[in-house]
Amino acid sequence: MSEQPPIPRPDQRPLPPAPGAGQRRIVLPPHRQRARRPRSVRVREWVRKNLFPSTAGTLLTLVAGAIMGAILVGVIVFVFFGANWEVITHNRWLLFAGGFPHEEAWRLWVSIAVVFALIGAAYGTWSSFGRRDHLFVLVVGGFVIFLMAHGGAAIWSTVYFLIAIGCMYLGYAATVWMPRETSTLRTLQQRIVGGLLAISLPIVLVILLVGGEVGPRHIDGFVLNLILAPVGIVGGVLLGIPLALGRASRMRSISLTCTAYIEIVRGAPLLGWLFVALFILDDVIGGDLIIRAMVVMAVFTGAYMAEYIRGALQALPRGQFEAAQAVGLTPTQSTRLIVMPQALRISIPPMVGQAISIWKDTTLVTVILPLRELKGNADSAIAQFEFTPDRIEAYVFVAVIFWIVAFAMSRISQRVERAQGVGER
Amino acid sequence: MSNLAQDGEKLDRNRMSAQAPVSSPSPGDGPTPTHSVPLFYRRGFRRLLQQGLYIAATALLFWYVYDALNLREFGFGFLDDPAAFKVGNQWLTDVDGVTSSRIEMYLVGVWSSLRVVFVAILLSTLVGVAVGVARLSSNWLVARLAMLYVEIFRNTPLLVQVVLVYAIFLVGAPIIQEVVIIGDFAFISNRGLAIPWPVPNDGLWGLPDWFVGVWVALLIAIGAVAMTVRRTRQNRERETGQPQFANRWAFGIFAVGALVTFIVLGLPVSIDRPYVEGTRYLEGMVIRPEFAALTIGLTLYTGAFNAEIVRGSIQALPTGQTEAANAIGLSGYQRLTLVILPQALRQMIPSITNQYLNVNKNSSLAYAVLYDDLFRVAGIIQNKAGHALEMFFVIIVTYMLISLVISALMNFINSRVTRVGV
Repeated sequence: MSEQPPIPRPDQRPLPPAPGAGQRRIVLPPHRQRARRPRSVRVREWVRKNLFPSTAGTLLTLVAGAIMGAILVGVIVFVFFGANWEVITHNRWLLFAGGFPHEEAWRLWVSIAVVFALIGAAYGTWSSFGRRDHLFVLVVGGFVIFLMAHGGAAIWSTVYFLIAIGCMYLGYAATVWMPRETSTLRTLQQRIVGGLLAISLPIVLVILLVGGEVGPRHIDGFVLNLILAPVGIVGGVLLGIPLALGRASRMRSISLTCTAYIEIVRGAPLLGWLFVALFILDDVIGGDLIIRAMVVMAVFTGAYMAEYIRGALQALPRGQFEAAQAVGLTPTQSTRLIVMPQALRISIPPMVGQAISIWKDTTLVTVILPLRELKGNADSAIAQFEFTPDRIEAYVFVAVIFWIVAFAMSRISQRVERAQGVGER
Repeated sequence: MSNLAQDGEKLDRNRMSAQAPVSSPSPGDGPTPTHSVPLFYRRGFRRLLQQGLYIAATALLFWYVYDALNLREFGFGFLDDPAAFKVGNQWLTDVDGVTSSRIEMYLVGVWSSLRVVFVAILLSTLVGVAVGVARLSSNWLVARLAMLYVEIFRNTPLLVQVVLVYAIFLVGAPIIQEVVIIGDFAFISNRGLAIPWPVPNDGLWGLPDWFVGVWVALLIAIGAVAMTVRRTRQNRERETGQPQFANRWAFGIFAVGALVTFIVLGLPVSIDRPYVEGTRYLEGMVIRPEFAALTIGLTLYTGAFNAEIVRGSIQALPTGQTEAANAIGLSGYQRLTLVILPQALRQMIPSITNQYLNVNKNSSLAYAVLYDDLFRVAGIIQNKAGHALEMFFVIIVTYMLISLVISALMNFINSRVTRVGV
């Protein structure tokens, strides 16, 4: 025992770096210190490192630059000189709301204002507008106003649209100043805004459809996309939660039927299910074609959402279920309070991906159903005699509109993920 | 009474929970002895009741749907009737629609779908790998270009992309009377792109057409020999360290073998040049605008998703892999093909498989550009004969079968890739 080197007692050991010591600036020895170089030098170095590192790298940059330049020139020439945008400006109401009666247009504007105000309130409650968000609103809003001002100005529509944007900032201003610390007030605020968001779809449907002579068949054009996608997403999540739980259930009859539902729905393309909506569901549930399309959208999305939630359920550590059981929660309580909140949080990213996918897939109702959403009304626009050569313009416009919304959705989801701490434990 | 409880126990025999079964009292369950628990509160009875109610509700729903569907005329006999419609975009098939039955037309549609799916899967993978790697390029401009591509094509509807490509073809390409001829062998017009294509012929010895099959069989045999030689030489290189040029040998054997058999069989294949007669292309291979639009749309759309998958799997690798590859002096290309991509592949395959299944289902968008794939042909048959439910049944079974084949292939590849543990 005495041959072994003596073990230093804790107080004799060299001190490990104190936690937080790394936050201090590291002072390099003089021979390794370099003066902070002027901006021009730094820019030159960045350019050399990222654009012209070697002969091959330079060649690559030149080729990529040529491609980018060609795309840029092509787009500019097309947008400002080649294209005839009259097909859009002349048909803007057709593209926006199609057969929606003009006298009832206020319903659309009120719905838009309500939704905008809720978006603003949600931003004010859980996030905040950054410079990029203001820029996005400015660019998109400017784009819309430009559309409405061009070729026979729609003055009242412009005013309504501006009021809607104002509502968004009002909703934002009403919520953003409230304190963010956890408190009863904060919880109340979150509950109110969250609850309003949750019932925003029924609210909008009530504003659009109740009273007056507007029926579901009047929902048309871009408005149809804007209604169909949320119905599909909300319905899909509502269907997906029980389906996922059912598939994970220990009871054979339940898990088998839920698995069969999910796999059969995922087996056929959405177009196939819309085919069902057109020819088969007519006998089963009847109703307006648009209602059947909504049902199909929700049923279809539900199967995909269920798979994402099931994946999240499987990703949850087994200890969560066991701990819930150990503290004496009933199965229902443990699902509602312990399992589902975590599973839903984990499945946010894939569910948002599915939501964007459904947003894009709302175009499919045009393909076999006699429903006309944005793309369908673009087809109607280019079917007019004077606009037949302008099909590229019409489709580019449709693509841009879909891109704006999908892009906004993906950015908002990134916010939500960060706020919810997705990926963190 | 006890019977019911026992039945309930049978149902949850595959239960993994740590809780003791109700019938045997255990200290964890508290002091209450089992026999005093009212039937209604026993777990087994509860389960049975729940399942019973569930099954009853499901059966009721099914009965309602069954009743509403009015299935008196259910049957697939109508598929054997003569078709009486035409199917375009045929390749290697020549079905006229007058004498052939509906099911034959449908199979032609399935063949058209398979072609689109195959080409789109192949091209979208290439695009995905190229763009995914480019997104991680140290070259700022290249990375930006790749990001631009991904953001644009991922966030716009596939349908709009397909019809846009189609519109560009229709508006941009010249009419057939003003066909553009490239180098005397290829033609472009709004009827499509016509290129030379190999076709079997009698050859020098006047052999029948099917002899080209013999040549193809020989080619496969020679290919097998070449692969064996390659593997032997690779093994020898691994053992001895001496360069054995396995790839060159394999390629040489295949090339010489193919040439020799080709000449011996009397040149059984000739290249057909297309030409324009009136308003039609004759001979050669014609890539129609519908096929091109659908395939290009699917490729661009799926390519963007594949690029994100490739990028994600590369980023999931430890940075040590790149550093190690640099340390042993591999070039950038070697680093990518020998170190990074083979490892990223294991992570990629499940997600990429999902995208391939999506390509299969998205090929139904052929409907929008009037390409006669299985979905459109099924739609036409339904239009002529009714029987929507049966047609939907046929459609969903076909899509599921194709999906099964794709999954099986990808699972096979996955098992090959993950055979060696990391």
